[in-house]
Amino acid sequence: MTESPQQNPEPTPQQSSEQRAGATAERTTPGPADRTGVARRAVVVGGNRIPFARAHGAYATAGNQDMLTAVLDGLAARFGLAGERIGEVAAGAVLKHPKNFNLTRESVLGSVLDPRTPAFDVQQACATGMEAVSTLVNKIRLGQIDSAIAGGVDSASDAPIVVSEGLRRSLLELNRAKTTQQKLRALARLRPADLKPVSPGTGEPRTGLSMGEHQAITTARWGIGREAQDELAAASHRNLAAAYERGFYDDLVTPFRGVSRDNNLRPDSTREKLAGLKPVFGKSLGAEPTMTAGNSTALTDGASAVLLASEDWAAEHRLPVLAEVVDVEAAAVDFVHGDEGLLMAGAYAVPRLLSRQGLALADFDFVEIHEAFAATVLATLAAWEDEQFGRERLGLDGAFGTLDRSRLNVAGSSLAAGHPFAATGGRIVATLAKLLRERADETGRPARGLISVCAAGGLGVAAVLEAR
Amino acid sequence: MDGQMDEQTDEQTDEQMDGPGHGARRDQVVLGEVPSLRGLFARAAVLAAGGGLARAAAARLPGRLRGDGGGRPELPPVEHVVEGVTVDPSRHEAFCRVVGAPLREGPGGTEAFSGHLHALAFPVAMSVLTRPDFPLPLLRMVHLANEVEHLAPVAVGEDLTVTARAERLRPHRAGAQLDVVVRLDREDGRPVWTGRSTYLAKGVRVPGAPGEPPRPRFVPPAPTGRWSLPAGTGRDYAAVSGDWNPIHLSGPSARALGMRGAVAHGMYSASRALAQVRVPAGTPFRWTAEFAAPVLLPGVVAFSVADDGRGADWTRSDYAGWDPRTGRPHFTGGVARLGG
Repeated sequence: MTESPQQNPEPTPQQSSEQRAGATAERTTPGPADRTGVARRAVVVGGNRIPFARAHGAYATAGNQDMLTAVLDGLAARFGLAGERIGEVAAGAVLKHPKNFNLTRESVLGSVLDPRTPAFDVQQACATGMEAVSTLVNKIRLGQIDSAIAGGVDSASDAPIVVSEGLRRSLLELNRAKTTQQKLRALARLRPADLKPVSPGTGEPRTGLSMGEHQAITTARWGIGREAQDELAAASHRNLAAAYERGFYDDLVTPFRGVSRDNNLRPDSTREKLAGLKPVFGKSLGAEPTMTAGNSTALTDGASAVLLASEDWAAEHRLPVLAEVVDVEAAAVDFVHGDEGLLMAGAYAVPRLLSRQGLALADFDFVEIHEAFAATVLATLAAWEDEQFGRERLGLDGAFGTLDRSRLNVAGSSLAAGHPFAATGGRIVATLAKLLRERADETGRPARGLISVCAAGGLGVAAVLEAR
Repeated sequence: MDGQMDEQTDEQTDEQMDGPGHGARRDQVVLGEVPSLRGLFARAAVLAAGGGLARAAAARLPGRLRGDGGGRPELPPVEHVVEGVTVDPSRHEAFCRVVGAPLREGPGGTEAFSGHLHALAFPVAMSVLTRPDFPLPLLRMVHLANEVEHLAPVAVGEDLTVTARAERLRPHRAGAQLDVVVRLDREDGRPVWTGRSTYLAKGVRVPGAPGEPPRPRFVPPAPTGRWSLPAGTGRDYAAVSGDWNPIHLSGPSARALGMRGAVAHGMYSASRALAQVRVPAGTPFRWTAEFAAPVLLPGVVAFSVADDGRGADWTRSDYAGWDPRTGRPHFTGGVARLGG
């Protein structure tokens, strides 16, 4: 069984929007039909999140369940959902204590939603929020449910601390022991070092490299420079600050514990200021290290939720429609022995998704690429512009395409807002849906948006949204 | 060689073990059980703590090995055999856990990990090196290289016959080197695993000129992994391998033997590297490691493994471990499909 990373059945045509004119109107939403045989759309009604806060700060004592409950209540308040039985709620956390085994259901029970609202937990590392959206959108399109809430939460501050493997094994053996002798033997295996608690790391289980070290290898491979990374980071802060200034986030963010804006945001951030920071990753690679605390995302706490619905449900509840979730594609890369970079799956998911949809990069009004690191975004763009990558990795005739950078992360992204892992998907989907609504209302034409989110384990999820 | 194992002492030629070239006939010594090495290493450690190890070891050297004349030194012309050595499930699992090897289920049950088979045979190999007529000091020997041919899957629970001998004592630019050759046979006499471990005895002179050219300069590749090795790594590996050499156990016991501190077992690194390679189930393979600078504990090793393909397209993987700060290599090696 060999599986090549390129599963693209047909090369994506390099077409301009003009060449493809008319395709939008004719395109019918792919996907299964409901009982009447008519395909139905799943739309984003709105979103809500709490401001993201730097770890061990404002939310240090808030747990995952507190934060997820808060965003559900905020969403319910915004759209009048108190006492409403929602079709299903799906959410998750990447750093999750075993006691939170039913985190989403418990959060629903603690919220103002009807307690008869079913819920389940999702986990796909940093793509958790995207996968929650994808699953629920499909249920809506299938006609199984009419409304849904997709969410995610993470706390780097309230992270579960576990006992060492040695202590765990000894305790389990002690538990199984029947005689005093067996019990003493189990305890005798303990060593002082076993008593040290273990904090969750950001290291990949199969490689032992931290995510930053993995990205540093990819950064060096694609020759992504320091200035370009710092410029992208500064733009993220600039764009997020401007979006807050114009009130864009007023109906997407609800204050929490005295925080009203993402407190990682540095509105006065510039490339020059960022240039003063010392590199923290890639220091032993031979190449010049370029990744700093400024062009890498900070550990943050936060939660987000997105209200999804069928068009009928939204109309019946007199709720607005921001955008349709058209299609989602997950990809994974073989990073374990270095065949591909850990965070490069988005570079594969997007071309596959666009091929299926018959779209090219030029067809998007807005593009959201999750800024795990500035270099992740830049390496993805570089790969798409690279002929060899297009031919050998994507199975295309040449390069996949060049992105117009003025459409990228226009309302800020993870470098400025922060990245509470599972909460990022919900932040991006709600932000992009609102951007598309604004654009469609301004121009009177449909607006289309693209999302790419990379994740641990070599995962990546891409999505196409469209506002009419 | 069928039936020969039944004899208490027998003779066979080297041609039967690994082809022509070392034609000396050797006596076969059948041991009743796998010897324990812990006692030997403990005694050596006590001696070392008294500061007398080096002197004692030197004094024990026959004059001809100290380089003050005499004839050509000789390794004992014997091989040690232990029959009915079982691949114990819980010991196998414990070994795999320490080196991070996956437990793989094959048609005949759990497939024994090649690194554990080395550990299983190791005490028998050491019993040759601790014979009174063995001319070199065991605790001062350095593991230079290891080569294994894993010829057929071995199931956990299987009984094997272990045969070990020392051969090819030859000059090295830093002393003398020799090979310890081990073979594992199924009960039907079919060899399933052979290993050749090359050791250096520093400062020992034997006649002749060193044959090995100096190693090419090591240029670290892009890492694919990072090993953070805690201080207890050597103790953990000793517990599952039986190799209680004090240089691996603690700072003081290692320093008593002239090391800068406790160092990881070479075969820990080699086994951990092998565990990273996705050899398709049931595939015979050759597994090699060359050891350079020892890994001081606790420590961090930058690691790289590169494959030439996946699944049925796989024929080999090459790996290396090095110090991420200095770029100095700790080990290099690889795994390659045998035959077909």
